[in-house]
Amino acid sequence: MRPLDPAIKTVWTIKLAVGWLLVVLAVLTYDVFQLFDASRRLPFGVLTGLVVLAGLASTLTLPRLRYRFWCFDLHPEELYLERGLWNRVRTIVPLRRIQHLDVSQDVLERSFGLGKLIVHTAGTRSSNVILPGLRYEEAERLRDEVKHYITEDAV
Amino acid sequence: MEPQQAPSPPPEAARRFSHEQRLHPMTLVQRVLKSLPALFFILLPFVAGSSNTDSWFMLGFIAFYGAFALPLIVAQYLRFAYWITPAEIVIHSGVFTRRKRSIPLDRIQNIVIERSLLPRLLGTAKVKIETAGSKTTEGVLEYVAFDEAEKIRQVVRTYQQHLDTDAPGTTPAAITDPDEDAVAGPPPAAAPPVPKQEMLFTMALPRILLSGAFRFSLLYIALIFSGMQYVLDAMNKSPEDIAEWFVRGGLEPYTEAAQASPWLLGVVTIFLAALLGWVTGVVVNLNKYHGFRLWLEDDKLHRRHGLLTISEGTTPLHKVQALIVRSNPLMRRFGWYRLELQTMGYDVEQQGYQVAVPFAKEAEILALAPHIRRFAIPDALTPVSPIMVRRTFVRYGLALGAVLAPSAYYWRPALWGLALLPLLLYLAVRQYRNHGYALQDGILYIRRGVFQQYVWIVPVDKLQVFYTAGTLFQRRLGVRSVVVDTAGAGTFRFPQIVDVVAETADEFLRALYERFQAHFAPPAPTQAEP
Repeated sequence: MRPLDPAIKTVWTIKLAVGWLLVVLAVLTYDVFQLFDASRRLPFGVLTGLVVLAGLASTLTLPRLRYRFWCFDLHPEELYLERGLWNRVRTIVPLRRIQHLDVSQDVLERSFGLGKLIVHTAGTRSSNVILPGLRYEEAERLRDEVKHYITEDAV
Repeated sequence: MEPQQAPSPPPEAARRFSHEQRLHPMTLVQRVLKSLPALFFILLPFVAGSSNTDSWFMLGFIAFYGAFALPLIVAQYLRFAYWITPAEIVIHSGVFTRRKRSIPLDRIQNIVIERSLLPRLLGTAKVKIETAGSKTTEGVLEYVAFDEAEKIRQVVRTYQQHLDTDAPGTTPAAITDPDEDAVAGPPPAAAPPVPKQEMLFTMALPRILLSGAFRFSLLYIALIFSGMQYVLDAMNKSPEDIAEWFVRGGLEPYTEAAQASPWLLGVVTIFLAALLGWVTGVVVNLNKYHGFRLWLEDDKLHRRHGLLTISEGTTPLHKVQALIVRSNPLMRRFGWYRLELQTMGYDVEQQGYQVAVPFAKEAEILALAPHIRRFAIPDALTPVSPIMVRRTFVRYGLALGAVLAPSAYYWRPALWGLALLPLLLYLAVRQYRNHGYALQDGILYIRRGVFQQYVWIVPVDKLQVFYTAGTLFQRRLGVRSVVVDTAGAGTFRFPQIVDVVAETADEFLRALYERFQAHFAPPAPTQAEP
């Protein structure tokens, strides 16, 4: 089984931190508006502080845990994925079921030279299976390798 | 349209359709009539309360309608054109934004001719062009003359057959799994001149009425009553007025007796609701399934049914992804079942599910099944882990708690809702008892349901993606779910086996996947697999 590229941890951490920052800002705004409200129950900053703590805790731990439980392997006939902290999912994508493949990269991933492989099948719930955290060249190589198996399969 | 009719190539029709065609002139009448209900509802409040200022509003609306809506309808009609070349159907439409759409013939899966009441009265029909690529209808011609619609279908079929012979393996009719090609060789070059037709299932009137009796639906009543509410509001009448109008005269003594005793009133209400639900069920089914016929022609399933609106459907057999045998407790008690097909690609209205047999005995379904996909539901399905009862009960309990807790905060007696807990336990046990799975002869069977029971019959070679999944709680209890993904499955109803003991789940998934691989194995000696 192959792990993801460790750089993905940083990408996830930054994304999570940005998400939490938005929440903290919203809560902070609420706190400031409550500042001169005589009937407020909590002293100023408690709510914001709690949210900051929760944000810090999850930002520092979650990406690492997520990374630890992510692994994949390309077998001769199938792509095998294992992932999930809360819901541990093991997926077998038979290569012959792949309709088409995308390699994508967002701004953040680009600065770390990462990319993700998106595998489209005709299935309903898993019509696209995403394999994140690959080196961009690696993602392209995987795509080309898998591409041979794409058939004009009628479903 | 009639299954007896052979699709002979009409050359003069082909020549005619190669030029720009307009829709049927009656389209104008139908569009205007269709736009009227909306206008009526907008104007309804003004019609009802007729003060002077309101009348002015109304006049204004009518003027607006005459000035904009009517010319728009005419312009739409004039700007709409379609024609058929040997390679594609071209549709030009749009008044302000011109849309030019060409649909390659080899992508067309199906041409549906739909006739609801009004088009039938005016001798027209709606033609829907469905393709493999998109889930929605690709092109609509509404409306063309009825015989014209038939000809369009024939012309397209004829062209498709030509394409077929020119390049085997590239048209929908000829696409098969490439692996199957290797076994069966290339498809026969020429389509048979007269397609073979085989009637699979018909429904006589008594059967349709009976099926309605099992379809107990309060939904339609709710719709009727809410519609009535709207009309009554507009007419400044209360529901009581209508009720009084109903019960005046002969019914008076009964209503008085009922009002005297609350128990009697309750019983009568339930009885009336049941009666209404039952009658609407019969009426709805009569309208929907009147003259139901399912026949096989050219490896395609054809369906035709309906009283006011005749609907038709075609499903190529290789598009069928799974079969579902459905029933409710009442139906099961009398041995009735319903067969649905999960298909890929079109029929958005039913989310990929099509009713193949609305109402039949088990033996009848098993008798026609080999034409679609041979199956035999094993007598004993493997049960899942009893831990499912516990997990389901906890889940239901939490849902109940989420409802009760806020209401109990304001209104203490809401806590009596906890008396529902034994009922939830009963539901959880039912859920568990109904759940079972089996893999037999290359077909995966999964049964689920609380009251409604679904049996999924999924050929292993139609599976797309294989999963096992275990949430934190499931992992602590040593169970796991097995999920298989198929094409065209619904968002809420899909085959999965929940809460199987972890090792068994892994083993089962492996067996499933090995069976899948065996089906596509290069030597492929499995001639029995269709």
